[in-house]
Amino acid sequence: MLDQLVQGFAVAVTPQNLLFVLIGVLAGTVIGILPGLGPMSAIALMIPIAYGMDPTSAIIMLAGVYYGAIFGGSTSSILLNAPGVAGTVATSFDGYPMARQGKAGKALAIAALSSFTGGTIGVVGLMMIAPSLASFAVSFGPTEYFALMVLGLTAVVSLAGRDLVKGLVSAVVGVMVALVGIDSQTAITRFTFDLPELFEGVEFLIVALGVFALAEVLVMLNRRGRGGARGGVTSLRLSGRELARITPPTLRSGVLGFFTGVLPGAGATVASFLSYSTEKRIAKDGATFGRGNPKGVAAPESANNAAAVGSFVPLMTLGVPGSGTTAILLGALLVLGVQPGPLMLTDNPDMFWGLVASMYIGSAVLLVLNLPLIPVFAKVLKTPKAVLIPLVVVFCVVGVYGLSFSVFDLGLLTAFGVVGFLMRQNDFPAAPMILGLILGGLMEKSMRQALQISGGDWSVFVTEPISAALVALAVLSMVPSLVRAVRERVAGRSAAGVAAASAGRGAEEDSDRAESLRS
Amino acid sequence: MTPRESGSEGAAPLRPLGGSGAPGAPVRSEGSGNRRTFGFSNRTVAVALAVFALGYLVLAFQVPEYTAVNVPVQPGTLPRWLGAVLLVLAVLLFFQRTPDATDDEAAPEDEAADGGTAPRDGSDGDGPGAEDGGPAATGKGAASAPGCATGTGALGRLRDPRLEVALFVAALIVYVALFEPLGFILSTALYLGSTTVYLGYRRHVATAAVAVGVPLVLYLAMSEGLGVVLPSGPLPF
Repeated sequence: MLDQLVQGFAVAVTPQNLLFVLIGVLAGTVIGILPGLGPMSAIALMIPIAYGMDPTSAIIMLAGVYYGAIFGGSTSSILLNAPGVAGTVATSFDGYPMARQGKAGKALAIAALSSFTGGTIGVVGLMMIAPSLASFAVSFGPTEYFALMVLGLTAVVSLAGRDLVKGLVSAVVGVMVALVGIDSQTAITRFTFDLPELFEGVEFLIVALGVFALAEVLVMLNRRGRGGARGGVTSLRLSGRELARITPPTLRSGVLGFFTGVLPGAGATVASFLSYSTEKRIAKDGATFGRGNPKGVAAPESANNAAAVGSFVPLMTLGVPGSGTTAILLGALLVLGVQPGPLMLTDNPDMFWGLVASMYIGSAVLLVLNLPLIPVFAKVLKTPKAVLIPLVVVFCVVGVYGLSFSVFDLGLLTAFGVVGFLMRQNDFPAAPMILGLILGGLMEKSMRQALQISGGDWSVFVTEPISAALVALAVLSMVPSLVRAVRERVAGRSAAGVAAASAGRGAEEDSDRAESLRS
Repeated sequence: MTPRESGSEGAAPLRPLGGSGAPGAPVRSEGSGNRRTFGFSNRTVAVALAVFALGYLVLAFQVPEYTAVNVPVQPGTLPRWLGAVLLVLAVLLFFQRTPDATDDEAAPEDEAADGGTAPRDGSDGDGPGAEDGGPAATGKGAASAPGCATGTGALGRLRDPRLEVALFVAALIVYVALFEPLGFILSTALYLGSTTVYLGYRRHVATAAVAVGVPLVLYLAMSEGLGVVLPSGPLPF
């Protein structure tokens, strides 16, 4: 494994790829800092740039965008109390109070250090788990893949919002969009309304930019760009005692975050809330969490970065994304002609190990480059929204047009922006839609292959052992949200009119709330 | 799923700019009042979804069968299932309680952040006034000692945020329509300049610099760096 890693570094450390890591991390940080624009918007906005690139460099850059965006989100969480990314909402609980106490610099330094630690733990985990998972998954046939994708969808649905029905609607509509165009197996056109522009299907980037970036802009506009204020960045230096204090939570949260990230559906957001509440529970000074306890910054930051890396495990080894963000990455990879999956480690080891190595480098870049640049990044927060909003629109338009040279697609972009906006206003999570869109075509393909093998017998999905286990997991994954829905119905009846956000339920509610904005 | 302008059922009361919204409502629903524009009750959404699902099903049953070779899954199979599932989901949604604004969780990011600190830190002086752009900047600036306002006041000029969104979408459609006839540089410069000024950014020199600079840089970067040729329109390059 070690020599493969060395090989990976040889791939990643070419000046060109090094440059792309840098660009990715920097761009991700800048976009992530902007309130409202999260990793999904960041990756979607950067994909047009990646299209012309060599696939290995492209994934290296996009991965850099991903963790850069998470880090950038923590900066605006701390300085503005306005997380740009759902995964860093937990960071704002203690980060913003620290900033208000004049310790913004310390909080940012803690965030950077623990992000680095968490990211490193994640990469080590990825290296250890991925090969064995891939060798297990090599035996997967279409039946197992279909079941796995169903699991991926339901897991994201059940975690993406607290409203199961709305999540499922979103996923179903995503699959519906995926089926538009000429059917690859039978060459029959479906849902094209005889428009030649739709024969090739709807490009996922259009949907991604529409329902994330453009919808986000409309939401900002609708809220009239509610402004915030930021505290100045103060000294970034940490004392040895402070370091010692945050080390154990950082390490614990890194491990916890990684495993949460590996699970389908659970991503950086869940990981950060899980680690925050765990640390709050086990800390002796748990009562001071929420009032500027450094541990409350370190734990979620470490966890969300480890989870971001962890979510690459199912993507790279199974070819099935476990989260909305990795679904967008998968879409980008498919366009670049790369099919991630169990064979990737053997067929395309350079890409896999190059990515692993670039993650190390990315984490290091975050630490050594971003930390000193924080005061500069903080200026990004001053960009007036009146300037920012039209610019984001232009970037979306250029991205879509540069891909297809079609004004029709720009119209689609606008339509999906409006749809995404309406979804946001009505609590429909967007992540399941993207996942459905990207998995839809693959699902139908593997369903057909599986049924072809079984001779049209639908029961294969529940009689093959691995597939049956995955389907069972998929059903189980929806149970928590069902329980939650029922419980809230009951609670809603008994406590109608009473302010719901009681302190006791605080942490749990926050996580729910953040789930719903996992975008 | 088309945008529906007349959404009074579940929508929040209109919030005139600078006004205080519904005075009787609790503070948190005040906060959500603004973003509840275009928010519909579950029933309305369910009916719209059901109509969509029915239309989809009609189309799904019109997908021709593939008869050249015997295939277990026809091209129409999955769409029919999807349409049926969506219909069932619409029915479920119809009977689901619409969460009222007070315990609604779909908060946008800064709402979420406020909620996050509110239970622990009651003194977060983020009252009703904070929604209204201008006062928000100062109100929050006062809350954090070394704060400085981010600059712009409320975006846009219309009293009704719903019209504002509609106008913005209309501007985007105009931009898209002019994209090829006018070319990338001219249409983008026009769009950036007019939108930025309209949204209330007052430093017109900076606006002009952005409106001219960004399209030029993007055009050059796309055509030279990525080999993507954007429409040039009447401009000679």
